[in-house]
Amino acid sequence: MIPDWMNATEAGPYQGAASLAKKKGFAKKTVDGVLAFFQESLISETFAKRKGLLQSLDPRVKLISMLVLIVGVTLMRSPWVLLIIYLLTLVLAYFSKIEVLWFVKRVWVFIPIFAGVIVIPMLFNVFLAGNVLVPIATLGNGSHLGPIALPSSIYITQQGTTYVVTFILRVAACVSLAILLFLTTQRDLLFKSLRTLQVPKVYVLTINMCYRYIFLLLDTIADLFTARRSRQIVGLPLREEQKWVGGRVGYMLVKSLDMSDKVHQAMISRGFDGDVKLMHVNVMRHRDYAAIVTVLACCVILGLISQSLISI
Amino acid sequence: MQTIFDLQNVSHSYLDKFEALKDINITMTAGEQITVLGANGSGKSTLLLILDALIYATSGEVYAFGKPVTEERFNALENNEFAQYFRTKVGFVFQNPDVQLFSSTVFDEIAFGPLQLGLPNDEVKKRTEEVISMMEISSLRDRAPHTLSGGEKKKVCIASILSINPDVLLLDEPTGGLDPRSQLWLIELLQDLAKAGKTIITATHDLDIVEQISTRAIVFGEDHTIKADSNCDTVMNNLELLMSANLIHKHMHRHGKLMHEHLHSPDGEHHHEQ
Repeated sequence: MIPDWMNATEAGPYQGAASLAKKKGFAKKTVDGVLAFFQESLISETFAKRKGLLQSLDPRVKLISMLVLIVGVTLMRSPWVLLIIYLLTLVLAYFSKIEVLWFVKRVWVFIPIFAGVIVIPMLFNVFLAGNVLVPIATLGNGSHLGPIALPSSIYITQQGTTYVVTFILRVAACVSLAILLFLTTQRDLLFKSLRTLQVPKVYVLTINMCYRYIFLLLDTIADLFTARRSRQIVGLPLREEQKWVGGRVGYMLVKSLDMSDKVHQAMISRGFDGDVKLMHVNVMRHRDYAAIVTVLACCVILGLISQSLISI
Repeated sequence: MQTIFDLQNVSHSYLDKFEALKDINITMTAGEQITVLGANGSGKSTLLLILDALIYATSGEVYAFGKPVTEERFNALENNEFAQYFRTKVGFVFQNPDVQLFSSTVFDEIAFGPLQLGLPNDEVKKRTEEVISMMEISSLRDRAPHTLSGGEKKKVCIASILSINPDVLLLDEPTGGLDPRSQLWLIELLQDLAKAGKTIITATHDLDIVEQISTRAIVFGEDHTIKADSNCDTVMNNLELLMSANLIHKHMHRHGKLMHEHLHSPDGEHHHEQ
């Protein structure tokens, strides 16, 4: 039944030399990344269950407050006020029993992605004119970079630095508020709160399902890469590796569509009608009213400061 | 006995191209324990999806609890009394536990069904606790479902259906991936549920469990039609039928120095042909 070549066996022992890898392969890195994500999400899910300040608030109040605060922060132009708000988010994190250092790290992972790349060029007089802060280079008159005319000298400007610092602080404060909301609220309650803001059922359902099966898909990705490692005998050229990853991306897309169908069927089968029903009963308490009044007052003050009607 | 499901000349094809069921006629009554047998791809899972009104017949008619099952009747998300009645009465344990477990904890997972059906919170809590205790999964109560082992996930899946207390249970390959001990536990659970009067419809190709969990067997052929619909004894003793449905095969193996060929039959015996 089996071909001749399959009859040949050689059980070892292996006599050759074994070399030690200097760095991880891309498959191993991907698997490690997926596992790190699982670990991180497990940690972050524990925060929502701790008995802290933000956890004790009604999720609707928290959602509305954070949204209002984010709008308030985006209106602010003063770096000092933004710095105070950012420091306040750290205080909130501390009283919500979130390790402050961990929280800071988590927030600042996003900053270079969202803000740094976009805003760093604004430091230079090429993009925003202003007073010299740090000279970089003298190019002389009539310098060009392709079709773009360059000034005679390039330097970091005071105005550019203020702009960049303000922008980064604004992003840091907004990201901190959003992460605080996410960390201190159980996912189901958060999704349910979205309905109270009249977000249509179909959007809430879509977000909910995305969150549900992101873990399943990541699990599949980890399996794909682990299986790939188990069959990899020699390293392949970069182009071949890229082709393989491209193929797996396509496979995951098809798989995710199939999975979303099945997860939805399983939900419908258990009586799901598009509305998130939970055992948690939302009850507004004194602290919730106090929180919403405080947040609204803060936002009014921020609005007045931003319009220069009051100054600090 | 009240008829639960009545399928008349039902066919189903995926993408109008791949036939999954062909001209199926079945009547299932309350309190029956039925096994749906067939090789991989014969249409067992499609039949269960149709019985749970998750997909619909491309031709033919399906009736559940005396009412026609059509897409229009189930498509309306809100204020749909029949759909809600149906979901209370019929529970489906999926083959892949991962698609069924989507809540953040095991407790929430088991409470999901009763909550969707609008039961009061106290009742939901009571039911959830009782099902957790009955299934002996108290240690998993606050765990995230995606962190459980295969056997534990299966237990949580079954618990999440039993908390709805459906009269009809649909199970797709329930013993798949379970170790022998968990398989025995599942068989005993299904026997207890049968004694309680539940209708249990199980799709499987595990011939060892058929007679332990059912009294009636429906055999699907690889052409997606029904090859037999009879009591378990008759079906399981018809080796020719089981071989034609690709459920058993001729197998060559060795006893010491003696090499011989025989049919793998579900009764655990085999006849030496020398």
